[in-house]
Amino acid sequence: MTGTRFIFRTFRRYCCHFAIFAILTYPLTIHASEAEFKNWDEVVDAAKGGTVNWFLWGGADNINAYVSDYVGGELKKRYDITLNRIGLSDTAEAVNLVLGEKQAGNDDNGSVDMIWINGGNFRTMKQGDLLYCGYTDLLPNNQLVDWTDPSIANDFGLPVDGCEVPWNRAQFAFAYDIARTETPPESIAALIDWVKQNPGSFTYPAASDFNGSVFIRHVFYHAAGGVEKLLGPFDQTTYDAVAPKAWAILNDMKPYLWREGTTYPNSIASLAQLFANQEVSLYFDYDPAIFGINVENGIFPETTRSYGLADGTIGNINYVAIPYNSPNKAAAMVTANFLLSFEAQFEKAKADVWGAAPAIDVARLRQEEQTHFAALPRNPAVIAPEILARHALPELHPDWISAIETGWQEYVAK
Amino acid sequence: MQERTHIVRSKNGLSPLVWLSLALLVTWLVLPLVPLAVWSVSRSWFFPDIAPSAYSLRAWEYVLSPTSEVLPALGTTLIIALGVTILSILIGLPAGRALGLYRFRGKALIELLILAPTIVPGIAVALGLHVVFLKAGLAGTMSGVLIVHLIPTLPYMVLVMAGVFANYNPDAEAQARSLGANRLQAFRYVTLPAILPGLLIGSLFAFLVSWSQYILTLLIGGGRVVTLPLLLFNFASAGRNDITGAIGMIYILPGMILLVFAARYMSGRNQAYTATGQI
Repeated sequence: MTGTRFIFRTFRRYCCHFAIFAILTYPLTIHASEAEFKNWDEVVDAAKGGTVNWFLWGGADNINAYVSDYVGGELKKRYDITLNRIGLSDTAEAVNLVLGEKQAGNDDNGSVDMIWINGGNFRTMKQGDLLYCGYTDLLPNNQLVDWTDPSIANDFGLPVDGCEVPWNRAQFAFAYDIARTETPPESIAALIDWVKQNPGSFTYPAASDFNGSVFIRHVFYHAAGGVEKLLGPFDQTTYDAVAPKAWAILNDMKPYLWREGTTYPNSIASLAQLFANQEVSLYFDYDPAIFGINVENGIFPETTRSYGLADGTIGNINYVAIPYNSPNKAAAMVTANFLLSFEAQFEKAKADVWGAAPAIDVARLRQEEQTHFAALPRNPAVIAPEILARHALPELHPDWISAIETGWQEYVAK
Repeated sequence: MQERTHIVRSKNGLSPLVWLSLALLVTWLVLPLVPLAVWSVSRSWFFPDIAPSAYSLRAWEYVLSPTSEVLPALGTTLIIALGVTILSILIGLPAGRALGLYRFRGKALIELLILAPTIVPGIAVALGLHVVFLKAGLAGTMSGVLIVHLIPTLPYMVLVMAGVFANYNPDAEAQARSLGANRLQAFRYVTLPAILPGLLIGSLFAFLVSWSQYILTLLIGGGRVVTLPLLLFNFASAGRNDITGAIGMIYILPGMILLVFAARYMSGRNQAYTATGQI
């Protein structure tokens, strides 16, 4: 979703803090995951009448409405839980809040009960011992999650270890306007040629932007001849072999970019504006649902369509997590369980609600529920997630990501 | 005194040059708000169109709906800003009087310290304060936010009041007292009229500075105290110009009303209110 980019946006900024923090606290990192509840009934009983302060990116009215009205309404009706949605501009704000509370010794009465999270922020919280872990098996709807799928069991290369519950699936895709562009480039190799043939009609946000960074990673995968060599912990030798090729591709592209590559958009919102204003012909986003939302909102033309790449696009899962010092863990667990339910995932998948791809394994649902999912009308601007998923690429370890971002600033941006 | 020149001007009418600069100033202030208003009712607005190609009230519907929580946030922001203004007066008026009227050891240092919050970035102060507020149980509460807003508002209030009192002759109070006024009456009929324009300027500053706080509210309020700037930034950073425009229109309203209201008193046209205070 649009949210995901904000979830990771500050990853690079916090990377150093986190590294120092991780080193300092490493010997202390023992996961206190003893279950406080014996069974699910106990959790539901304890949750009754509770309040959940859910901190999540608040920049989309449709997501806000889904969370406040639909999820909030259902939680009240079914479990007598009050959902309090707290909108953020940047997920790191909530992470910092929990971190501050830990430093102040507030270990059992924190202000955050749940966070929409993944990537660098999850890493900061998990390694800083800021999360409540080990409860996922208690959730009845956990059986709908395919934990054998490595892209679910690992959040940006870091094992989830029962410290968060999947919520949405996102996979990078390109968008174009059929009224303006007949044949968009459907692989990175084709894109490189296309950019040279169509000077000025393509650009990408700087590496400091989450979506800009993921685009650069696609080029990096292409330069490496596939992602396989890049998986696992950061490896300097591999990086040194691949990086010059990737920077050469991007530097060759530079004179043909929008404004001859003298400047890059600083955020994906700017690229959306450029695409809307017909200054560039291609747009991309980590979550294709945004294409449909932007058409609905009148930002993009009705003739917007989207596609994945023949050589694959990068995907990720985003999650909800409960901080270790949440005073409403039972209510937060009931909320997380409800989010995984067929009803909540189906509602969220509706194009006029949000259009987010489910994080649950649809094949594990009952037959009629699967039919509902299959029959969902999709905004024509949004490519079907199952088509996109045929060519999915994994995300890299955060150390790789930050090395690529730093390298781009050094060798391409300058 | 600045007010004196105003009195002279108001008697002779404004010169064309003043009118021109006033018109420019108003244009400058109002012009940026026009696209904001248009965005708030637009559905699609593509470059290089002069006007949106489709209009919609959806942004307003969302903003006025309970889901958006904009109206409760407006109330919260207003209560905090008014509370901060009153507290700033209670602290800033005596402090300004002391700084304006008296000389004492370490005065320069105190003036510097009072100015410090306007020089030091708020975030640096707030990060350290967060822990203190957490321990005091003030984090995540409205009173916590109210207190933390005093950091950026007090310098304005104290310095404005110090300036006012520097040109103030306390003998007038003594005269009133010798004519039988009690302390309260002396303040009500002598001090207050003399300092009112300055007090209003200081209050306006305090109100508007509190009104526009983002990072201090976010950090100390911990997301549980939701003010308009927080909601505004949610949508501004997401590139949602329509909703940003609609919240923006609501956001500027109280400031405008206050400014129009206060301008009447601040112009200093009424001679009895001039800061020179000679009755």
